[in-house]
Amino acid sequence: MAHKNLKVVILGANGTMGAPAGAVFAGASFDVVMLARDVGKAATALSGAQSAARAEAVGDRIKLGSYDKDLEKTVKDADLIFESLAEDLSLKKTFFERVDNCRRPDSIIATGSSGLSIAEMARGRSDSFREHFLGVHLFNPPQVIVGTEVIPHAETDPAVTKRVCELLTSRLGRKVIVTRDRPAFVGNRVGFKVLNETAQLAEEHGVAFIDYVIGPQTGRAMAPLATVDLVGWDVHKAIVDNVYANTEDEARACFRLPAFMERGIKGGKLGDKTPKEGGFYRKNGKAVEVLDPNSGSYKPLEKPAPIEFVEKMKQFNREGRYSQAFNVFAEARGAEADLARRVILGYVSYALNRVGEVAQSAADVDSIMSYGFNWVPPTVVVDLIGAKNILKLITHYKLTVPPVVEKAASNGDKLYSGTMLDYGRTLVG
Amino acid sequence: MAKSAPVYILGGAQTDFARNWTKEGKHFVGPMREAVLGALEATKIEPKEVQTAHVGNFAAELYAHQGHIGAFFLEVDPAFYGIPTSRHEAACASGSIAILAASAEIEAGRYDLACVVGMEQMKTVDSTTGGDYLGTAAWYEKEAKGIEFPFPKLFGRLGDEYDKRYGLKDEHLAHISAVNYSNAKRNPLAQTRNWFMSESHAQTESKFNMVIGGRIKVSDCSQVTDGSAAIFLASEKYATEWAKRRSLKLADIPRILGWGHHTAPLEFDVKVAESRDNQYVLPHTRQTIVDAFKRAGVSGIEKISAIETHDCFTTSEYMAIDHFGITKPGESWKAVEEGVIEMGGKLPINPSGGLIGAGHPVGCTGVRQMLDLHKQVTGAAGEYQVEGAKITAMLNIGGSGTTSCVFVVGK
Repeated sequence: MAHKNLKVVILGANGTMGAPAGAVFAGASFDVVMLARDVGKAATALSGAQSAARAEAVGDRIKLGSYDKDLEKTVKDADLIFESLAEDLSLKKTFFERVDNCRRPDSIIATGSSGLSIAEMARGRSDSFREHFLGVHLFNPPQVIVGTEVIPHAETDPAVTKRVCELLTSRLGRKVIVTRDRPAFVGNRVGFKVLNETAQLAEEHGVAFIDYVIGPQTGRAMAPLATVDLVGWDVHKAIVDNVYANTEDEARACFRLPAFMERGIKGGKLGDKTPKEGGFYRKNGKAVEVLDPNSGSYKPLEKPAPIEFVEKMKQFNREGRYSQAFNVFAEARGAEADLARRVILGYVSYALNRVGEVAQSAADVDSIMSYGFNWVPPTVVVDLIGAKNILKLITHYKLTVPPVVEKAASNGDKLYSGTMLDYGRTLVG
Repeated sequence: MAKSAPVYILGGAQTDFARNWTKEGKHFVGPMREAVLGALEATKIEPKEVQTAHVGNFAAELYAHQGHIGAFFLEVDPAFYGIPTSRHEAACASGSIAILAASAEIEAGRYDLACVVGMEQMKTVDSTTGGDYLGTAAWYEKEAKGIEFPFPKLFGRLGDEYDKRYGLKDEHLAHISAVNYSNAKRNPLAQTRNWFMSESHAQTESKFNMVIGGRIKVSDCSQVTDGSAAIFLASEKYATEWAKRRSLKLADIPRILGWGHHTAPLEFDVKVAESRDNQYVLPHTRQTIVDAFKRAGVSGIEKISAIETHDCFTTSEYMAIDHFGITKPGESWKAVEEGVIEMGGKLPINPSGGLIGAGHPVGCTGVRQMLDLHKQVTGAAGEYQVEGAKITAMLNIGGSGTTSCVFVVGK
C-alpha cells in the first residue's frame, strides 16, 4: 500500500467513533468516504468530523454516501475499509459479507470494535477477506487520544498487520500496540477491571470517597467513577459483561457489574449522556449531586474530609516529586490507604500479568494505559515504589505476582523504559 | 568584534508542549523539575557539577502569582543549594536573554558549566485574560490596555506595513501556517502534532478560524502553551572533560558560533516611523542577524542549513524570511512560493513546527529553539531532522519586534 492518496471507506460514519475517525483519516491526507444509513445521517457524520477537527476544511477530503446507494461502488476502490458500526456482531457480519463481495483483493478491512472477537467477525468470509481483516481499536475521542490497539486474528496475514501498524504510526501519529484477540484486548481489559472494581467498592464506601482516595493523584487524568460516567454506563456494562462471560482469570470477580448499576441502566441512568437521570454524579443547576448506590437517590456533593496521605501525594505530584508521592502511598497507615493500595497494586498486578496472555510486553501495557487511558504506566508504579517493596505489597494483598516484577525484584532492574518527561503528565496534583 | 571564548552546547530536554499543567494540578516547578532532570539524564551531567543557572520566564507573576523564579531551580535537586541563579525577562525573548547571560558568564571565565532553563505556564487563565497579560510585552498603557488580544493586532499591522511597502497576499501567510503545522506532525513534543490543518483551512475565515485582529486569523497565531526546556552550556575546559567521558571529540560538540542582540523602541508605531526609509521593516532585527553572522564568521545565508525562527504570527515569519537575507527585502513571498522554507527545501524554516506548530511557552521559546538547533546539528532530531544540518540559526523576538536575539549554532 503506497503512502499517497489512500482511500478509506468508513462504515457507521455517524457513530460516536466513526465521525471523529473520519477527521483523523482526512487529517492525515486520506481520501475519505463516510457512509451511513442515509444521506442525512452521513451529513451528520461530516459535521461530527468537522467538529472533531475544528475545521470545516476537513470536509475537502471527505465524500458522503449511503449504504444502499454507495457501499459497493466505493468499497471496490478502497484501500482500507474501516468499520465503526454498533457493537452488534450480527450487524457487523452482515456488512462484512457485502464488503467481501465487492472489495479489491488487496484492500484491508479493519473493525473498530472495542472488544468483540475479531476471529468471530471474520468467520465465514473468503480467504482473502480473512487474511486482510484485523481490529484497529481507537480510543474515544480519537482526535485527542492516540493510544491504538491493532488486533490480528489467527488468519490475518502478518504483512497486513505490519502495514497497518506502520500506517497508523507514521501517517496518523498513533501510539500502536499489537494485542491478541482476547475480550476487550489489553487497554479495556485492564482499565475496566479497575473501573468496575471501584464501582463495586462505591457500594460500601460511597462514590465521593472512592473517587477521592483512588483519585487522579494515584495516576489518572480523571477519578475512576467520573470516568465511568464519561464512558457511559451502557458501554461500561457491555465491556465488563463481555470480559466476565468470556475470560477465566485471577480477577474475574472484579468484572461483575454491581447490581445497583444494572438497576440504574434499566432506569435509563447512563452517566453524562443522560444528564437528567445522571450517573455516579448528576448536575442540578450549577450544583453537583452524588449517587447513593444503595438507595439510588442523590445528595449534594460535599468535599470529602482531607486524608493526610492523599493530600501529601497531591502536593508531591504538584511539585513533580513523584517518588516521594509514591513513598507516602506505600507507607501510609489506616484503612483508607489500605483500600487505595489494594486497588492500585491490583492494577499493577493485573496489568503486568496480562503480558504473554494478551499483551506482548510490559512496555505495550505501559503504552496503552498511558496513551489510551491517560493512566500512570504500571511499571512506573513499580519503579517509584521499588520492585522489592511492590513484591511485598502484592503478596500482602494476596494478589498475583507478575513474573516481570519478580525478576525486577531479584536483579534490581528498572522496568519503565522512558523518563519522568513521559509519565509526569499522568500524576496529578 | 573581538573573538570571545567558545561556548559549547551539551544538550538538554523539554517537556511535551501539548500538556496542560493546570489540568494536571501542577505548580510550574513540577514540569520545570522534569525538564532539568531530563536534561541531566540526557547529558549524563551530575547535579553537583552545575555551577550557575539562568531561568528565562516572562510573566509568572501574572500567570502563576509567583516571582523569584530563578530560586526555583534549587527545587530540582539539593545538590543545587547555594549556586547562583537568576531570572531573565524580555517578553518572548526571555529564554534567549537567559542564554546570553549564561554564555557571557562562560566567556568571561566565571563559570564552566551553566544550566539555562526556559519556563512559562500560560493555561492558568482564559484566553482574553491571557491576551491581556501578553499585552504587557508591548507598551501596555499605550498599545494594549482595554484592547482585546492586542498582540495579534500589532502583528497584523506588521503585515499591513509589508502590504503598504511591498504588497502582501494572505495566501502566503496561510502557506506559512500550513508548513509549520505540517512540520509539527513530525515532532513528538509539538503541541499541535495531532491537530488538523490545511492550506484551505488557513486561508478561510470560519467559525473554527476566526479573525483575531486585522488580517490575523486563529491559524496565523502561535499557541498558548505550558512548557519548559533546559540546556547545558559549557566552557572549553568543561566540554573537553565531558567529551572525554563520553568518548567524543571536542569538535563533535555544537557551539554557539555567533550571537546578536538589539532592542528597538517598544511602540510599534515608533518602530515603523523609524524604518520608514529603510528597506527592512524591522532594521534592528536585521542588524541582529548581521551581527550574529559576522561573529560566527558566516559569509551569508547560503551557509545556513536550517532556521528556527520566531513565528509568533505568520507575519513575523514572513518578516524573518527577508530579514535573514533568504530573499531581497519585500520578496519573502518568493521563498514561500518556491518551497524554500519547507522540509526538503533549500533552507527549511522551523523543522520543529515553530511557535505556531510546536507551541509558544513565551519565556521558554528561546531555550527550546536552541535545544532544537542542537538536535539538528547532532543529527538527533528524528523525524524532523534536516538532512546534513551543519550550521543553523535561530531568531527569537520579544514584543512587537522590540528585543531581537539571534544565535548561530554549529560545530
